[in-house]
Amino acid sequence: MERGLIVFDHVKDAFKAEKVLKASGFQIELTIPPKDMVKGCDLAISFNLNERLAVERALMWNGVQYSNIIDVVKFSTKPLDVVKKVDYGDTIMFRCGAMKITIDKMNGIILNISGGGCPDVPYLFLQLVGKKIFEAKNPTTIGYSLCAYSLGKAFEEALKFYENSCRWNSSS
Amino acid sequence: MKTLVVGTVPVEKFPYYLGTPSFDGKNLVLDQKILPVGMGTLSLYSATYLTIAHLKGESPTLMTVGDIGKADGSRILYQKLIEEIEELKPNILTLHYVMPIITLARTLGLKLQKMSSKPIVVADAGFMYAFKASKMGHVCNIFTPDAGEMAFLVDKDAVHPAYIERHLFEIDSANVELLIEKVKNVEGLPKMLVIKGAIDYIVLEGKTLFKIDYPMVPYLEPIGGTGDTLTGILTGLIAHGLPLEKAAFYACKINRIAGQLSNPTPRTRVNEIILNIPKAIDLVLKI
Repeated sequence: MERGLIVFDHVKDAFKAEKVLKASGFQIELTIPPKDMVKGCDLAISFNLNERLAVERALMWNGVQYSNIIDVVKFSTKPLDVVKKVDYGDTIMFRCGAMKITIDKMNGIILNISGGGCPDVPYLFLQLVGKKIFEAKNPTTIGYSLCAYSLGKAFEEALKFYENSCRWNSSS
Repeated sequence: MKTLVVGTVPVEKFPYYLGTPSFDGKNLVLDQKILPVGMGTLSLYSATYLTIAHLKGESPTLMTVGDIGKADGSRILYQKLIEEIEELKPNILTLHYVMPIITLARTLGLKLQKMSSKPIVVADAGFMYAFKASKMGHVCNIFTPDAGEMAFLVDKDAVHPAYIERHLFEIDSANVELLIEKVKNVEGLPKMLVIKGAIDYIVLEGKTLFKIDYPMVPYLEPIGGTGDTLTGILTGLIAHGLPLEKAAFYACKINRIAGQLSNPTPRTRVNEIILNIPKAIDLVLKI
């Protein structure tokens, strides 16, 4: 199956496109742009090239900006989505790549965010720390960078952990 | 020594600033605009400021601008540095939060390389990512990665820590020494790495000079900004005239002790730790 690649000027647009295309039922994957197009903090989306017109239409209807669609690209690297955790007793830290988020196990409050190097990391710290994880916005909806993407993965695991522990507590 | 700290602040449209802010222990005041010290460039700058002030040196200069991730402010910082670094002539240049932009980092790297009296360059956060991705890290004297970022440095094709090979991520904090072994073969990195973590490593040309694990303060890792304070203290000690190896060793010790003095938990905020830096300097340097 031939794959196409959507390239963006901003990571934020890739986040938006991912949401739109997934909601429309397309089989897509986040990936790195080709080497000669990499700027430093970028994200691209691969899709089934046979669906190009439908993909373009979905992006247009939803006002998603992109810089280019490449017809045939070999690609293999997708961003890291493995999350590690460190248990500190009443608190727990989740880490994806260089990004870490720590929550209170009892009430789900986001206690700290650390790591990373893109300029939205301190911004996400200000937006999220102190909020309950089940009420807070996913970092990918308010961030702009690959650090926000990694933090989003750690955030999702932390949210899953908190929801599972709530379910376990209410059933026991 | 003239010290210049460069990095963005997380305030949208905050204007470009070059100067020496005043610091009241909680906030930095830049041209009458108050910015609370949280994680990021402001914690790094505050740590540098307090270290230098305690050692009675010349206050560091801050070059900053607002950027919440849109890269607008970051572009201004790259541009200002490229245009003005020769005129500013810092002895020490510490580079921090910025959007990694490979082409601009390469231009900045080439500019630094050509300077007749090149400053000592310490790069952390986004500037470290940008120099590594553009293979210009050798223009820096020190990178200050954590374990996850070490895996990024080792992965020679990765342009961002979000793209590291899965097996390197599996290794990272569990076996930093293996990553140190692997990093020897990567070109375009500085000679010295100060690796922050449960154990701090100071590595020079692939060889581990120091392993610092005392005092052990396990709660420092989740606290946003504790890596920034380490780089800030390191900058201050270099400005005091310590050789890079010694400055790195003492910075790791001082950062741990400042953390320990705060009785930290994962709930602790970095500004509580920053205030203990002068006392930690006294304890470590026996002033």
